[in-house]
Amino acid sequence: MSYLEALRGALGEANVLEEPVELHLFSKDASLLRGQANVVVFPQDADQVSEVVKIAEAHKVPIVARGAGTGLTAGASPTEGGIVVVTTAIDSIEIDLENRSAWVGAGVINLDLSAAAAPHGLHFAPDPSSQSACTIGGNVANNSGGPHCLAEGSTTSHVLGLEVVLAGGEIVRLGGNAPDPIGLDLKGLIVGSEGTLGIVTKALVRLLPLDPDVRTMLLAFPTVESAATTVSQVISAGMVPAALELMDQRMVQAVENWLQAGLPVDAAAVLLAEVVGETEGVEAEAEIIADLGRANGATSVEVARDETHRATLWKGRKSAFGAIAQLAPDYYLHDAVVPRTRLVETMSAVYEIADRYDLTMLNVFHAGDGNLHPLVAFDASDPETNRKVHEAGDEIVAICLKNGGALSGEHGIGIEKRDMMRTTFTELDLDAQARLKEAVDPSGVFNPSKVLPAGSRCFDFGGVRRKELPEGVWV
Amino acid sequence: MKSLPSDLARLATEPDTLAPESAEDVSSILRHASKEGLRVQVRGGGTRSGFGAPPTPDLVMSMENLTAVEAYEPDDLTLVVQAGARVDDVESTLIEHNQTAVLPERPGDSTVGGVIASGASSFKRGRLFGTRERLLEATVVTGDGRVVRGGGRVVKNVTGYDLPRLMVGAFGSLGVIVSVCLKLWPAPPDRATVTVDSPEAAAEVARPLAVLQDNESTRVYVWGTAAEIEAQTAKLGGGAEAGHHWPAGPVDRFGWSLRVPPANLTGAIERLPTEWRYVALHGVGEIRAASPRIDGAADLRSWAEDEGGRLVVTDSPEGGLDGFDPWGRPPPGIEFQKRLIAEFDPARVINPGRLPGGL
Repeated sequence: MSYLEALRGALGEANVLEEPVELHLFSKDASLLRGQANVVVFPQDADQVSEVVKIAEAHKVPIVARGAGTGLTAGASPTEGGIVVVTTAIDSIEIDLENRSAWVGAGVINLDLSAAAAPHGLHFAPDPSSQSACTIGGNVANNSGGPHCLAEGSTTSHVLGLEVVLAGGEIVRLGGNAPDPIGLDLKGLIVGSEGTLGIVTKALVRLLPLDPDVRTMLLAFPTVESAATTVSQVISAGMVPAALELMDQRMVQAVENWLQAGLPVDAAAVLLAEVVGETEGVEAEAEIIADLGRANGATSVEVARDETHRATLWKGRKSAFGAIAQLAPDYYLHDAVVPRTRLVETMSAVYEIADRYDLTMLNVFHAGDGNLHPLVAFDASDPETNRKVHEAGDEIVAICLKNGGALSGEHGIGIEKRDMMRTTFTELDLDAQARLKEAVDPSGVFNPSKVLPAGSRCFDFGGVRRKELPEGVWV
Repeated sequence: MKSLPSDLARLATEPDTLAPESAEDVSSILRHASKEGLRVQVRGGGTRSGFGAPPTPDLVMSMENLTAVEAYEPDDLTLVVQAGARVDDVESTLIEHNQTAVLPERPGDSTVGGVIASGASSFKRGRLFGTRERLLEATVVTGDGRVVRGGGRVVKNVTGYDLPRLMVGAFGSLGVIVSVCLKLWPAPPDRATVTVDSPEAAAEVARPLAVLQDNESTRVYVWGTAAEIEAQTAKLGGGAEAGHHWPAGPVDRFGWSLRVPPANLTGAIERLPTEWRYVALHGVGEIRAASPRIDGAADLRSWAEDEGGRLVVTDSPEGGLDGFDPWGRPPPGIEFQKRLIAEFDPARVINPGRLPGGL
């Protein structure tokens, strides 16, 4: 029996897509890289995922898990072919009010979870800009962040348990509502592993109480440096606001042109700051941020009057990527992180690189975390531009690493940054990561060729590396 | 035991105790141990040595000479420190800048590495999360002597597998922690401890730092600006003492860590045998307890495990467990845990027998 027949038998024909146009649709995520799916399946629960895993292992076919496909690093692109496992049908939400947590299907959309929790005065803290589309399974796979991770941490800090299908089709429930599960933290290892260790079917997530009070403010600055300096000074002043988001002028203009949100288009940069907590605290903190902003030359400080006004300010920020479409057909978005004290110099270098390559660059990013998102708007159909975009991108990442940073803050490695892993980790570091992969996924069917560059596994630590395998081969 | 190679003999502080001075020394010791099949007990402050059921070690690796602060960036809220540094010393350095690493309060001689390896957390974990959420980067030496780094010195990172997080609560089974980068937090200057009538009273304030209940009373811990403290204290009905008064962990012949879903905490407290002393963390589901006798532990564990929790032995007198497993029922995915350990410590030399399932 072929694996296609086996899949039809296990999931029913309605949940197995094989038409060329369907395969084409699911052969790419939101990155620029396309793969080629051999088949797309929609399992309804962990038992069906387990069947898929067993079939894939028996037939040595790669499995690529996919939620909404909003990932930006080709993590969900079936670049080695194989079975694309779409988790969107696994979409239950079971809220546990007493424990302030919820078991959530991998296919549940991030915003739907918070909407379901809101009537109970609770919310799920990670809020990627794609939260109206991205799924919890994708958030877990990429340890996603979002503006509010500054104070509350990324997805991994909010995952208390996982239902995951591992090698051999074994379904395990890791963690739970009780703190400190005993033994090695497999749950913590699987979060952020980009579907390379198993397929998460459900997550037990922490729900936080909604804040009693909030102040959201927009500060306009005459230079990007003055805005970035304000960010650094806010953190050094002993505060961790709920969010500190920075947009440069090009981005503000693009957003304003699209949304008419009343953003200050004349400013070189705007800073969106939000503080939460008890009223007494948020008032004091908002005042400190406003004072620091003014001391750095802020030309205006606008405090949200009410919830509607606040929503408008946030809509400007969260719609940024959608606004790019008016400028160019494609965009290339980076996700490097630098220590917050190096923000100003890194931003200067990033602009210099864009100017040198004559590229249209816009910036909108999680400044409080030092998490940059330089975005190049361009036309991918022009090979020369394509080359320049990628070369400039490599230079930007290199400068971030030189300034003590990391390759990715919240988007993951996927294929896009896989080969840059060697610039930040030693052979032994990568070998250790390859051993983690081998220990958990011995047959290598889970999302092969992602995250780790080929040849990461050394045969021994004397530095003898396995012969480089040809491109495209997975073992 | 056999005589040590000369490059290791210089590290001996006592017979069978070696105190490495660098990651390379740690590597040399572990390569020697792997080659000779020696069991190595890694020793920090010795405050959490009661976990598991380890056999008598052949060698003790004392982390006493690995105590340096390698980098402290107050404006970045990050600290890189060697694993042997005492928690007390680290927090004393940080508080000069009104910052904290949110490590356990009243740590005694605990070291940073020991806290991470045993998975211990601060009382403030209900608000600021536990130790595993504070670890940004770790440099470890695997059982076969490889020096390996994971994570990075930035507050947000998804660059490869989360090796640092895997070290939390691993008792060194994958590698000896040599140095770590920790995510710091501002420590507001004003703080108060408010005694309340019941844990439910704490619901009056939004996300307090901690709500602790022990045999005597229930206390809510708050911090912030003076105005915030005043407002929160008023909501809690007054009775505030300035400052934070953290309880010492109860100590007796047996030490326990009871971990239950937060909703089961009050039920768990009611089930504790009357002679047990305890500190319970509301909103977290953790109870640190101590007792003169083991009686009642089996029933308590059985109930806790049925509720999705655990009763873990953190200390016991020699021979006192009498067949009572220190961890209880093995965790799910134990085969995967074994395979991970086999990749990192193939000769199983680092702290064998400390983990659940006799690993």
